Amino acid sequence: MKKLGFLAAAIFAIVAIVAGTAFVYFNNAKWNEDTNAYADLAVGATVDNFSLVDTNGAEKSFNDLKGKNGAILVFVSAQCPVVKQYNERISGFAADFAAKGINVIGINSNHTESPEWVKSHAAEKYKFPVLIDKGNVLADKLGAEVTPETFYVNEKNVLIYHGAIDNSRSGGDITENYLRDAVEANLSGKPVARKNANAFGCNIKRV
Amino acid sequence: MNTKKVYSERKQRNNFLFLRSAFFSLLTSVFCLSLLFLFSCQSQTRQSKENTPGAQTKAVSELPPVTQIDASGLKDLLKPNGKPLLINFWATWCGPCREEFPDLVRIGANYKGQIDLITVSLDDLSEINGEVPKFLAQMKSESPGYLLKTQDEDAAIGLVSKDWQGGLPFTILFNAQGETVYSKQGKFEADVLVAEIEKL
Repeated sequence: MKKLGFLAAAIFAIVAIVAGTAFVYFNNAKWNEDTNAYADLAVGATVDNFSLVDTNGAEKSFNDLKGKNGAILVFVSAQCPVVKQYNERISGFAADFAAKGINVIGINSNHTESPEWVKSHAAEKYKFPVLIDKGNVLADKLGAEVTPETFYVNEKNVLIYHGAIDNSRSGGDITENYLRDAVEANLSGKPVARKNANAFGCNIKRV
Repeated sequence: MNTKKVYSERKQRNNFLFLRSAFFSLLTSVFCLSLLFLFSCQSQTRQSKENTPGAQTKAVSELPPVTQIDASGLKDLLKPNGKPLLINFWATWCGPCREEFPDLVRIGANYKGQIDLITVSLDDLSEINGEVPKFLAQMKSESPGYLLKTQDEDAAIGLVSKDWQGGLPFTILFNAQGETVYSKQGKFEADVLVAEIEKL
């Protein structure tokens, strides 16, 4: 009888371990991410006009949203820790560039983030429109891979700069302001010294 | 007192003994499981002990060392040394990185001696004695751990692969000659990676 008791306990323990392992396994297996590398749209190429819905479900075209001197597309995420660290800087340049006729447009291509989540995050963090790139069509077209990642397009829809905002995720030791430098050079008619700059970030979660 | 009654009382007592032993065994197993759980959680508090003088417990000495490298240090690591090299770039703030790490540790253990596995964290430098080794300890990682700190991440990313834009995680397998045989931005597929290692 005593043996039976221990047997019951042993079975209970085994079931608990198996259930725990299965939980971890299936929780892991649930993740379905496929981020193949896509060809980047080269700097100097033209960005075709496109339309996506905003966080209110209204369709918006790039040509309608851009400013008189162009636009900056910023790929964002509601949960990426790197985007969180950059949010203040993103809002900062959005205000500065709007005054220079360059409108910032946020793009969220992460299929893992619901439209409601994207909407509440955008309402809380940004004053510029955020478009929802369902099926990561725009991300594929431009070759966007990470968040945050920016594309600076002039008034003729020509891509001037593609890449990181600056060279410091934390914001504590910025020595290169890639995006601001590209905008300032281009607006004053000077050649852009650095047209591309990759940086570490979160992968865009593609379908 | 007849024999039937004695038998019945004995049976009742046996039943009681059985239930009691089952109850205590159950209690013991729950207690053991809780201990296990507590133990796994406790590793999260190990770091705080490290900075306390005189608190050199065994747990602290288990924290793996993490070496800071810059772009030139990364370049040195990438130099072929006659053995295939598997590198994983990750960060503690990166969810998919944390999720795939157990697979990476398992592959590293399975192919120990046949391939070199190193992990490179892109966490903030302030985490080099904090979250980074803590996570590596939790994962029971036995591979050399590095933390890359550079002012030009673009250059560092370019050193590793032309197909990489900096998204984490990133995993790349070089053969003994230093040629890329597998790379993946985003979570790697363990079966595909293992198949590539087998081909080496």
